[in-house]
Amino acid sequence: MAQFPLTSNFEGDFVLQLLPVDTENSMDEVTELAAYHSVGRRVKARPGHILRVRKQGSTEPLPRTMKVAEAGFKPTECIEIIWEPASQQGTSA
Amino acid sequence: MALLNRMDWYDIARTTNWTPKYVKESELYPDEMCGSMGIPMEKWEVYDEPYKQTYPEYVKVQREKDAGAYSVKAALERSRIFENADPGWLSVMKAHYGAIARGEYGAASAEARMMRFSKAPGMRNMATLGCMDEIRHSQMQLYFPHEYVSKDRQFDWAHKAYDTNEWAMIASRHFFDDMMLTRDAISVSIMLTFAFETGFTNMQFLGLAADAAEAGDFTFSSLISSIQTDESRHAQIGGPVLQILIDNGKKAEAQRQIDISFWRAWKLFSVLTGPIMDYYTPLEHRKQSFKEFMEEWIVAQFERSINDLGLDKPWYWDQFLHDLNIQHHGMHLGVWFWRPTVWWNPAAGVTPAERDWLEQKYPGWNDTWGQCWDVIIDNLVEGNLAKTYPETLPVVCNMCNLPINFTPGKGWAVKDYPLEYKGRLYHFGSEPDRWCFEQEPERYAGHLSLVDRFLAGQIQPPNLAGALAYMGLAPGEIGDDAHGYSWIEIYKQMRMKKAS
Ligand SMILES: [Fe+2]
Ligand SMILES: [Fe+2]
Repeated sequence: MAQFPLTSNFEGDFVLQLLPVDTENSMDEVTELAAYHSVGRRVKARPGHILRVRKQGSTEPLPRTMKVAEAGFKPTECIEIIWEPASQQGTSA
Repeated sequence: MALLNRMDWYDIARTTNWTPKYVKESELYPDEMCGSMGIPMEKWEVYDEPYKQTYPEYVKVQREKDAGAYSVKAALERSRIFENADPGWLSVMKAHYGAIARGEYGAASAEARMMRFSKAPGMRNMATLGCMDEIRHSQMQLYFPHEYVSKDRQFDWAHKAYDTNEWAMIASRHFFDDMMLTRDAISVSIMLTFAFETGFTNMQFLGLAADAAEAGDFTFSSLISSIQTDESRHAQIGGPVLQILIDNGKKAEAQRQIDISFWRAWKLFSVLTGPIMDYYTPLEHRKQSFKEFMEEWIVAQFERSINDLGLDKPWYWDQFLHDLNIQHHGMHLGVWFWRPTVWWNPAAGVTPAERDWLEQKYPGWNDTWGQCWDVIIDNLVEGNLAKTYPETLPVVCNMCNLPINFTPGKGWAVKDYPLEYKGRLYHFGSEPDRWCFEQEPERYAGHLSLVDRFLAGQIQPPNLAGALAYMGLAPGEIGDDAHGYSWIEIYKQMRMKKAS
């Protein structure tokens, strides 16, 4: 359990934002924390989609249950929060 | 008594490279202050200033300019600009004065360095006058807003801004400290006078003078036109320096300094001037878009002066031209969304008519920045003001110190440009920002951005109240929507029509 700063690059938003998370948070929890600062503020919710985390430059999202502590992030590293159609759910988790 | 014509004595009077007897040349002109790049003294003596003015001429002309600007101010004191102008226009003035007035004093110091440490006598002469110019600019731009301070505390930021850690001021100070206050005389002449002044101040001052006249603020218009006449003279200091550097095999270094300074100036203008021209200035007073103005006044003129000297366009030129369509829209959206953190009241500038104008000037605007504004507008229509404020910090660039932003919505293309240097992870808003850092990492590495300071625990308590206190923003100074959200009425009416 430790605070860990990340940088959120949220699909559809215009700016990178500071995203304080906990090392114990799962990737699903990270997307929720990130969405709080983007969705409903400058990004419309997308029904029928879930959110995934991927490293910048990667096309593959990280497993949904992976913990921040296991992801090998550097403090303040920029992660991308991506919309994924709910129908794809499970295919890459 | 008959006076000699200027050109009968000017050349001999400024031949002042005397041979020192008691100290060595290297003591009289230490290299870290001169930046002569090993080019010997006599090569600097060919410096031929394009604008020759003597001290008596300077005093006479400047006295007239001052008298002109001050008498316009006195004559229009009762014109009630403050009461009658569009609130967006007041925001233009507040942003301009806060970002610029005290920086002019910094520029006086930079000119003084060229005056003392340049090995080119003609350059020393021009910089002497330039130094006095900059003192005048600072004094005027502090005196003129002063009459508004008793009516609106945000105008106090004309003087106050430079002493604060407000984020836009950190960005502005980082740039000006880099270009003006921490460089040798030759670098200053390239980075400040050539890249910044010929490149950009023309734009800020000519563009704003036109906007001010359109907005009916003839005091401000005459003030900045008066300043611009000085700028266009002393901005010419750098041209002959570049000629000497090129003639003596130093083109690459000259080019590198231009490329750094031009990019940094562009980023600052994307936050300062872009929003002013495309969002704050009332629609009916807009002559050109920011992009059109940039293309006419900066791109065309800068390309010409670069070509004339035999230099190259900066390596990122195509990207720069592309970014003219993009960068300032996000800067504006960021300033508006984080509006409590600025000392002026940003005008949203997104009524349906204004959006039509934006779409016409920047095709695709509605599908990109417009998508973010749609959400904001929905919240305002529904009275959900809380959701139109942020609850975290934007991540800012470790070079320009401005929020890292790019195209949102359907054209989403936001990206971080990270760099690890000596174990610390830096973030940049673009490839050229990162490139600037890489040119001289040790110059920049120790600086902490606002986000770095927050993470280091320097901002307490670590929330909005703590951040506002850290930035020096007192109640009555923090920014809010320039029009008090009255522009949202039209959207409410559109909703009602739709519903009925
Ligand atoms: Fe100036
Ligand atoms: Fe200047």
